[in-house]
Amino acid sequence: MYYFLRLSVLLVGLIVSAGSYAVNEVQPLTTADDLGPKVEQPIEFPHDRHAGDAAKGGMQINCMYCHTYARRSMVAGIPPLQKCIGCHQSIESVRETPRIKKLFEYWEAKKAVPWKKVHDLPDFVRFNHERHIQRFVFAQNKPVQEACGYCHGDVKTMTVARRQKPLSMGWCVSCHQKDHPVDATSTKTTHGPNDCWQCHK
Amino acid sequence: MIENSFNRRGFLKVLGWGGATVALSGCGNTSVEDGKEFVTSYVQTADYIIPSIGTYFNSTCAQCNAGCGIMGRVREGRVLKLEGNPKSPINNGKMCGLGQAGVQAHYNPDRIREPLLRNGDKGEAITWEKALALINEKVGGVKAENVAFLTGGVSGHVKALLKNYLDALGSGHHYVYEAVAPSVVRVANKKAYGVEMPRLRLDKAKVIVSFGADFLGAWISPVHFSQQYARFRKADKGERGVLVQVESKMTLTGANADRWLAIRPGTEGILALGLINALAAAGRSVPGDVVAAVKEYTVDRVSKDTGVSAEHIGKLAALLKERSPSLIIAGSAVEGYAHGSQNATAIALLNQVLGNVGKTVEAPSSVPFPQMAPTPGNRFALQALNDNMAQDKVKVLFSYGANPVFTAPASMKLKENLKKVPFKVAFAHYMDETAVEADLVLPLNSALEDWATAMPEYIAEGAQLSIQQPLMEKLYPGTLGMGDILLALLKQRRPDEYKGYEDFYSYLRSAMVSIKGVLGGANEDDDTFWDTALSRGVVKLVGAPVNISSNASAKGLVVPAPFVEDSAYPLHLIPAVSASMRDGRNANEPWLQESPDPLTTIVWDSWVEMHPKTAAKLGIVEGDIVEVASKSGAIKAQVYVFTGIHPDVISVPLGYGHEAMGRYAKGVGVNAFKILDPIFDKETGELAMHETRVKVTKAGQRVVIVKDEGPAGGNQMGRKIAVRMSSSKVNLSEEV
Repeated sequence: MYYFLRLSVLLVGLIVSAGSYAVNEVQPLTTADDLGPKVEQPIEFPHDRHAGDAAKGGMQINCMYCHTYARRSMVAGIPPLQKCIGCHQSIESVRETPRIKKLFEYWEAKKAVPWKKVHDLPDFVRFNHERHIQRFVFAQNKPVQEACGYCHGDVKTMTVARRQKPLSMGWCVSCHQKDHPVDATSTKTTHGPNDCWQCHK
Repeated sequence: MIENSFNRRGFLKVLGWGGATVALSGCGNTSVEDGKEFVTSYVQTADYIIPSIGTYFNSTCAQCNAGCGIMGRVREGRVLKLEGNPKSPINNGKMCGLGQAGVQAHYNPDRIREPLLRNGDKGEAITWEKALALINEKVGGVKAENVAFLTGGVSGHVKALLKNYLDALGSGHHYVYEAVAPSVVRVANKKAYGVEMPRLRLDKAKVIVSFGADFLGAWISPVHFSQQYARFRKADKGERGVLVQVESKMTLTGANADRWLAIRPGTEGILALGLINALAAAGRSVPGDVVAAVKEYTVDRVSKDTGVSAEHIGKLAALLKERSPSLIIAGSAVEGYAHGSQNATAIALLNQVLGNVGKTVEAPSSVPFPQMAPTPGNRFALQALNDNMAQDKVKVLFSYGANPVFTAPASMKLKENLKKVPFKVAFAHYMDETAVEADLVLPLNSALEDWATAMPEYIAEGAQLSIQQPLMEKLYPGTLGMGDILLALLKQRRPDEYKGYEDFYSYLRSAMVSIKGVLGGANEDDDTFWDTALSRGVVKLVGAPVNISSNASAKGLVVPAPFVEDSAYPLHLIPAVSASMRDGRNANEPWLQESPDPLTTIVWDSWVEMHPKTAAKLGIVEGDIVEVASKSGAIKAQVYVFTGIHPDVISVPLGYGHEAMGRYAKGVGVNAFKILDPIFDKETGELAMHETRVKVTKAGQRVVIVKDEGPAGGNQMGRKIAVRMSSSKVNLSEEV
């Protein structure tokens, strides 16, 4: 009987470990392949309304209008409350809706909105937004939504953000090694994006 | 026990395979935390504030009185690190360890967070409205002459407001107290040169003879002097400067000297006069009355009195004769005696005779705004206040920037006299010893949260107004800046004059803008001038020229004979001033406790420095706990055997031994201030800090000293790692 126990543990283990390697293959970069949990935010901010296509009622605002530090800092940044109020102080049509009223309550109290962090890497990883945006958007002229979408998914279909990608080291490395693959015969194994110290300072 | 065919080997196999598969499948897993932490942005911010990128703002350090400029790196609304402000001529972008610890004074967990009113033994939190109303009531209920303000050294706009408040009360009782201050030297300088603090040009001198002035350590403006010292050592043309240090206990500066002369305590003036005599004999032109006054100070007599060998006196005189200009500095060692003024006068005379005045002893710039000019403190101020308190003449006492309950010698009975004052207000950052005695404690903003202007007592290059601006928002909503408190108090007394100012910031800004013409902003509009001033952190002032007197005169010079030995108290106590601890005001900053003392490398404790000969005589080894007893009290500390001290002297550092003030200061070390004898300089009335005589007895305990240098320490234990040469074989004046 224990023979079957051992066999089943062995088989399950083999299948799981083999399956985990599948994750490391390069996936199409704009589909959700590891959906994070729904994160509740103090105000359910509708990205679809702000960044979405005009055909669907969105205002097509550039990601970096609000997440303005992405091109010049290691963090993309949550916009200061001032940015929201900057437009909404003049938008009469939604001024009395519940979410906007809550927004203005924070503004009157001069209290920052306590957003929950959705894409939160562990402290031993140093991810630099600036380098990625400078390369994809400014050097390679990719559209902003596509560049942000590589890692954050199709945000313009969401209300509050929800993690779409694993954000694990293996997943990051898969993209880094796309143009510079590393195999057993590589002599330059720690080079540029494949250098340990770039992310683990 | 279950009957099984599942044996150990099988179990291990399952375990091994199971573990391996888990490990292999771990590569694809993620450790991203979804939705656990907050990411809070600003409510409103300037365009140049970018998260993760530091912005730098200039301000002024408040850790000591030198007034160096600091530049704080601010990230996400928090000041993280301080460096020097390159635009300040005092420190030119450099900073000392004390300044670095400024962030610890700011983020200190023991800061008082709201006003506290005494209720029995406890302090109860009250609102600022109530606190200020209570002050108004108490001050209104007594005569103006019974109100006293005790502060440390003050300058700038806070001083101006303070003076205005005292005027509004009608009280002139402002006691400016500093426990560690060159107060005797100031008076002697004024007599000799006509100015209290001449500008010392260490960088222009070819030889410096410092009588116990620790200018690289803790004396007056150490960062500035260190920079001058670097230029002094690395002269552009020709000779490298020679430093000779004459003192009874080695300081950091002494450790850097080319020659360190251990002198019998108190005889510095005798040596100075002996040098004048030797220089006159060697052909230097010296005025007749001076020659007559010094003629009995022959080399033999001086050698006998001071303990410095005739050979060294001769070499020193030769060095001073050959190298010009020189610079003779009188430090705290000189002024710590009942005849301290005489010592300092003799040393000033030596500078005059050597012709240094006008070359290395220069006139400082004058300060064009006397109401903001620095009022330096001295020890006599506390004695005056103490006498008045003892006679019940003080009914309301304010204290700011001073901790007299800690720094006053026990013989003054200051705590008992304080109890006679019915209402005491302490403006404080921590519940230090003085705040603990107060009836009302008002919490101050830290130096990194506050607005102020300051002018340091020692004018480095030209007169300047240093600006202190907040490097971040207040940490605690319940604290207030001193300027804001004074403004609120002034509004009680003179509402019409001050009602236009919403807070101290608006007062300061309008005061500065109103004089922008003389501050270099005549052609700028108000906003540009103010923004530029804040950006630089320092505003240069143009003062009238000041005259300095180079008349050598022996008038009034009476240097007494050296000490009579006291058999009951055979050793002299030198209370040492270290760069980190000073008078103990920063003892609650753990970086400073952790920084090893430069000479002994001891951390987090006091010690007693003792010469090996003295230790051998008393049968004491390193680590023995001894009791150091003077006529005024006794303390117990560990012994550190050290050759850098005169055999008749022991030294205990000041600033340790707090009984309150916070978790890092309380109970660390012993308080050497307490056992100082009540002996005073005859001319100025200043407490003579080096006159205390003590006896040392073993307390019967031995500890292992916690120090950085390891057990062998400075003693090479017989291995000739750094070879020493007897100084009689070194001829300094030939060598360099």
